[in-house]
Amino acid sequence: MRGDGVPRAVRLFGRSATGGIDDGEPAIRLVDVGHEYAGGGLGAGRERTVTALRGVSVTVDPGEVVGLAGPSGSGKSTILHAVAGLLVPTTGRVELLGTDLRSLSDRGRLRHRRRHVGIVFQRFHLLPSLSARANVALPLVQAGVPRHRRRRRAVALLEEVGLADRVDHLPGELSGGERQRVAIARALSTDPDVIVADEPTGELDSETGEAVLGTLTDVAADRTVAIASHDPGTLAATERTVELRDGRVVSDGR
Amino acid sequence: MDGSRGPRWTGLGRLALSRLRTRALRVTRGRTAATAAAVAVTVALLLVVTGVALALADGGVATDDDADVRLVADDGRSLSSVDGVESPRIGDATAGAETIRATEGVDHASPILVETVAVRAGDSRERLLLVGVVPDGENRTVAGLPTGPLGEPAGGDGWRGEAVASAAAADRLGVDEGEAFDVLLGVDELEGVEGLEVAAEPDGADELEGADDRTAPEGHVVTAVADGETPVVLVHLPALGSHSGADDDELAEGILIWGEEEAAVDAATETYPEASTVTADAADPAALVDDGLALATVVVALIVGLSTCSLFVATTAALSVEEDRRTLAILAAVGFPVTSRLAIVTITIAVTSVLGALLGVGLGVAGVVALNAVGTSIATGTVAHAHPFFLPYGIAVALAAGLLAAPYPLTIAARTDVIEELER
Repeated sequence: MRGDGVPRAVRLFGRSATGGIDDGEPAIRLVDVGHEYAGGGLGAGRERTVTALRGVSVTVDPGEVVGLAGPSGSGKSTILHAVAGLLVPTTGRVELLGTDLRSLSDRGRLRHRRRHVGIVFQRFHLLPSLSARANVALPLVQAGVPRHRRRRRAVALLEEVGLADRVDHLPGELSGGERQRVAIARALSTDPDVIVADEPTGELDSETGEAVLGTLTDVAADRTVAIASHDPGTLAATERTVELRDGRVVSDGR
Repeated sequence: MDGSRGPRWTGLGRLALSRLRTRALRVTRGRTAATAAAVAVTVALLLVVTGVALALADGGVATDDDADVRLVADDGRSLSSVDGVESPRIGDATAGAETIRATEGVDHASPILVETVAVRAGDSRERLLLVGVVPDGENRTVAGLPTGPLGEPAGGDGWRGEAVASAAAADRLGVDEGEAFDVLLGVDELEGVEGLEVAAEPDGADELEGADDRTAPEGHVVTAVADGETPVVLVHLPALGSHSGADDDELAEGILIWGEEEAAVDAATETYPEASTVTADAADPAALVDDGLALATVVVALIVGLSTCSLFVATTAALSVEEDRRTLAILAAVGFPVTSRLAIVTITIAVTSVLGALLGVGLGVAGVVALNAVGTSIATGTVAHAHPFFLPYGIAVALAAGLLAAPYPLTIAARTDVIEELER
């Protein structure tokens, strides 16, 4: 499941295996998390809402690779967004590396995400106007890393994901599998403790998806990884699967 | 692993420029080009209008000369015969010109006086622009006319009150070479003024009693008719000064100086420390301040240009941001706070505006050249001036327009819903 060794490039920032949290402390902890999306107004002060999560409690240990399974609309992506601090759940508590995200300001959550979380999206979400190298180096710009170090690290990461010959290509010049590997390299650029991947193989054919998944689990090394997917093949590559339905946890392979 | 601010802001700038370059050349060429073109056209039109205003303020045909340096009244020793109506003039002009003329490196210096006066030739009576100058026997150009046919300076042996008329002036007066005309005080302006009587002339033309003694004793003789669409006549300075009363204080609009530019400027500055000097190749933007019409033209053009430009930029930049919301969402997802995202949008707007301004300055100068070509072929000649000041002016206007336009696209950018864009 994991690669034979920890890639050299992903070690550039000297991250510890536990992300600096106390022994026994989970990397991710969701406690009775509920979330509702505003679904548009119905007039007369009534607002339609969509319930995405209902009392979800999940714990993920450091270094664990966990899969979130369930059909579309079951709440997989919402959990990943909550873990990444992209949204604050309506109820409950989300802790990342021991920090309650609700206690942080918007800017604090963003900084926490930048330092500790790498995100891989289903649709890659690369900037079409930037080369593969510039896309990988993107999070390092805001982190204030000098240009020569950004470039060096981006090239090293692209080599690790097998794209050494695609460094200067624009996303539009890459295949789907190559784009997702660039996205994985970008997620690793700040050497995060946690990687969240939302349907990372959803846009790829099965063969390419398998290769990309192999890349993700290889380069993730001892990081905590949460992968949302409804593809059994993808979930088989995880160590543990949490199944969701209608916003509730229906089974946890813990 | 947060680093320092320097690399961050440099990186944001590079990111914005890199995105702009790729978008302009490879991805969304049309949108970027449209924004830059909109700015360019607006700046170009603004500069053409400013160039016309500059020519207006610069004095039109009266300043169409081949002098190397022009000394113009500014303040201090400048005097005005009718304060607030006429433009400032310099005093002691004859003595000042003589001092300048005596300077090494200066070939010639002549006060220049411009008056609109009533002129009579036979039965014909016209109001014409008369330009008084001190000739030196060389064939120089003043008010677009040659000074050679004026002969020697007034008062010398054989002076006959020589005048050089433009073809338009000669046509209006109905005179040709060798024919004479008289200068009269303008009755229209003086009619109704207390203490003055207007008598009827047998030919129906009104003339002031006692005006005859204000005409040149020998009148003026047209010694040459030169090409020119503007009705202007070049005459000897003392003659014109005596008609207008400007000779009382040795008044003149300025002094034209021929010779080495540096020596001429030094001599002019030393003689008239509080006046301004303008070299041959530069129109003086400061002249706009002294010319109400030109200043109003420039101000109106600036307001219209700024408004139009900022509306263009606001619209096109907002469309770009609208198209680019996903990019902003991705930046947010990978850790860019809203200030950094807005900084990228702002840098993009500013750089696009400056690129448009550079293009606009080029187009504006080309427009001035084209306008002058048309002016030369159908009218009086130069009708607009270009100036090195156009470059910083164009860039400043474009940046100001970008600044005015920025709040709208920035508001759209700030309201981007990250999750909605990423899920779309």
